[in-house]
Amino acid sequence: MRRGTFVRWGVPIATAAVIGAAIGAGPVIAAVSGEPVLPERTPQQLLADAAAATGKDGGLPPMSGTVQQTASLGLPALPQTGVESPLSLLSGSHEVKVWYGAHDKLRVAMPTQMNETNLILNGGQAWYYDSSSNTATKLTIKGEAGKQHRLPTPQPTDVTPQQVAERLLANVDQHTAVRVINNAEVAGRPAYQLVVAPKDPGSLVQEIRIALDGENYVPLQVQVYAKGSAEPAFQLGFTQVTFTPPAPENFTFTPPAGTKVEERTLGLDAAGQQAEQRAEHAKDVADQLKVVGDGWTSVAVVPFSPSDLAPAPTPATGSADAHDPFGGGGSDPSALLDSVLKSATPVSGTWGSGKLIKTKLVTALVTDDGRLLVGAVTPEEIIEAAGTK
Amino acid sequence: MSTVDTSTSPGAGSGVRAGEARRTPGLVPVAETLETTERHARPETPTPPVPSARERWAFWRLLGSELGLTFRRPRNLAMLAVIACVPVIIGVTLRIVGGQGGMGGIIADVAGNSLMLTFFALSFLVLLMMPVAVTVVAGDSVAGEAGAGTLRYLLAAPAGRTRLLLVKYLNAAIYAYAVTAVVALSALLTGLVLFPAGPVTLLSGTTITMAEGLLRILIAVGYVGAGMAALAAIGLALSTFTEVSIGAIAGTIVLVIVCQVLRAIPELDSITPYLLPTWFTNFDAVLRAPVDFGALREGLVAFGAYIALFGSIAWARFSGKDITS
Repeated sequence: MRRGTFVRWGVPIATAAVIGAAIGAGPVIAAVSGEPVLPERTPQQLLADAAAATGKDGGLPPMSGTVQQTASLGLPALPQTGVESPLSLLSGSHEVKVWYGAHDKLRVAMPTQMNETNLILNGGQAWYYDSSSNTATKLTIKGEAGKQHRLPTPQPTDVTPQQVAERLLANVDQHTAVRVINNAEVAGRPAYQLVVAPKDPGSLVQEIRIALDGENYVPLQVQVYAKGSAEPAFQLGFTQVTFTPPAPENFTFTPPAGTKVEERTLGLDAAGQQAEQRAEHAKDVADQLKVVGDGWTSVAVVPFSPSDLAPAPTPATGSADAHDPFGGGGSDPSALLDSVLKSATPVSGTWGSGKLIKTKLVTALVTDDGRLLVGAVTPEEIIEAAGTK
Repeated sequence: MSTVDTSTSPGAGSGVRAGEARRTPGLVPVAETLETTERHARPETPTPPVPSARERWAFWRLLGSELGLTFRRPRNLAMLAVIACVPVIIGVTLRIVGGQGGMGGIIADVAGNSLMLTFFALSFLVLLMMPVAVTVVAGDSVAGEAGAGTLRYLLAAPAGRTRLLLVKYLNAAIYAYAVTAVVALSALLTGLVLFPAGPVTLLSGTTITMAEGLLRILIAVGYVGAGMAALAAIGLALSTFTEVSIGAIAGTIVLVIVCQVLRAIPELDSITPYLLPTWFTNFDAVLRAPVDFGALREGLVAFGAYIALFGSIAWARFSGKDITS
C-alpha cells in the first residue's frame, strides 16, 4: 500500500459519507436542532383549535401540497389488483397532490408512471379525468353543492389529513385519553402533536398521533400506532405543504380534444350516489348489526357468510369501526376475502368455531354459524365477544 | 493518443502529442504520475511560458480527439442507428394499430398528437436500450485503452491522469446526450410525419401549445441525458478496475438489469429511491400541469450524487493504478 492510496480513497469515502449524510439529514437535523418551540397549548385548547380549523364554517386556509399515505397493516399478501384500486391503498406507500383553494375549489391528482388521475372540484361541478383511459367525467352537483355529506363511514374522498383528523376528533369521548406530546416538524413546519389513546387495554390501537400546524392548527399528519410496534401502521400526512392560494388554473378543466366525455348529474356531492348507496347499505346492515362493547373496543357482529359477498363493500368493515380511517371496503372484496381466509387461523370455543384473521390494527372473526365479528381489538376480546350472543 | 490514432483514425491531433511524449513507453510509476497531477494543481508548471492557456487548449484538443474517435467508431454509430430506428418502428406500429380505435391511454395520446411519440419512445427506451448504448461507450473508455495497450501512451503525455479521466467522462456524457437527442429527434420526426401536429394534451388533461410542447421535450431530453450521464459515471468507474472493456460494459448492464428487477418487487419498495434507474422515468413530470419541478429536481440531485460518488471512485482507482499496458 502506498502512502497516497489511503488519501486517494478518502475522496470517494468522503463523497459517500456526504451523500449518506444528505439522505439521513432530515431526521438528524431534526434531532440536533431539537423540537420546534411553540406556545404551550393544553390538549383541550388544541382540540378546540383543530375543530375550528377543520370546521366547515371557519374554512381551511388555501393550501397546496403533497400528501403521502403509508400503510403497513400486516395484511396477508393482497391479490394483485389494478393500480387505482382502493385496495392498493392498504399496503405500501402512495402519494397524491392536493390543491385547495376554498371549500368548493379542490384539485386532487394522483400521479403514476406516465399517467395521472385528476379530480377537480370547482363550484357546483366536478371533473374526473383519467389519462390512462383518456376519459373525462363531468359531475354536475345539484342541491347541496359543495356541502359534505356526512356519513358514519370513512369515504374514499378522505384523502387529506384534515378530513381524517376531523372524523377522529369527533370521536373523542370518555374512553379516550388525550394528551399533547413534544412538538414535531411535519413537512418542514413546526407542529403540535396531539395524541389520542384508547384507555381500554383490549384495543389493538396503541395511540393515534395528530400533528397540528403550529400557526393555523391545520392537521398536517395523522399516524396510527398499533400495539407493540414502533412504526405507525398507518400514516397520512403532508410531505410538502404551502399555505398560499394555488393558481386558479388548477381548478379549471376543459376536456382536451379527443377525450371521451361522460356526463353525470349527481343529487349529492361528488362522492354522491355511491355514498348514498353505502349509507343505505349501512342502514340495512345496521338493523342486523349488533355491537358488543363500546368505545375503542366495540366489536361489530353482523350476519355473514362468505357466499353473500357479491355486492360491493364488505358491510362490516365499513360500519363497524369509525375509528379506523381506512375502513371503506374495496372494489373487489371477494378476491380479497378469498386470499385473506386462506391465511386465517381456525379457532374454537364454547360458542362454536370459526376463522380468525388478525392484522396489526383490526381483528376479524368469521364464525361457522354465519356471523362476522370485526373490531380493533385483541383476538381474546373478539373471541369473548363471539361468546356473548 | 498516437497509437489510438493510428489504429482508428490517423492524424487527429497526433502530431503535438507525439512531440510531447518524451518518456520511454512502459511502466508509468505512480509516484511520477502523481507528481504530474500535482504539478497541474499548483500554479508553477514545468512549462512556465504559456501555462494555463496552453493547458486548456490541450484539454479541449484531447476532448475533441476523443469525441472524434467515439463518433467515428462504427459500433457506436451502429448503436445510434439502431436506437433511431426504434421510435420509427413504434410510430408505424401505432399508426397501423391506432387506426382501429379502441385504444386507451398513452397509445391514444400518441395517435392523437405528434409530440407524444417522443415521450412514449423515451419512456420505452430509457429502461434498457439507451443505458446499453451509453454503457458500451463509458465502459470501454479506460478499459478499452488499457486492453489495446494504448493507455500508457496517453499517460506518457504530461496531460495528467485526472484530466484524462475527465476527458473520458465528458466524452461518455456527451455520447449519452447524443443517444437521448437521437431518440427524441427520431421520434419527433416520425411523429410529425405520421400523426397530426397541434396543441398537446398533457397527462393532467390540460392542453398546451405546440411550441410549449417542444420546450417540454427539450426539458425531458435534458433530464434523461443527465440520467444517462450518471449511468456513464458508473460505467467509467467499473472501467478503471479492469483491462477488459467487455467486463466493465457487462458489469454495468447487469447492474442496470438487477436494479430494474429489484424495482419490480413490491416488497422492496423502500430501496427503490436509492436505485439509479428509478429516476430515469421521472421525466414524465414535464407532462403534468403545472410541471412537477420537484420531481425533476429530486431526480437531478440523485444523478448528481451518483456522478459524484462514482466519479470519485473512478478517480481514486485510476490515479493510483499501475498502468502496465
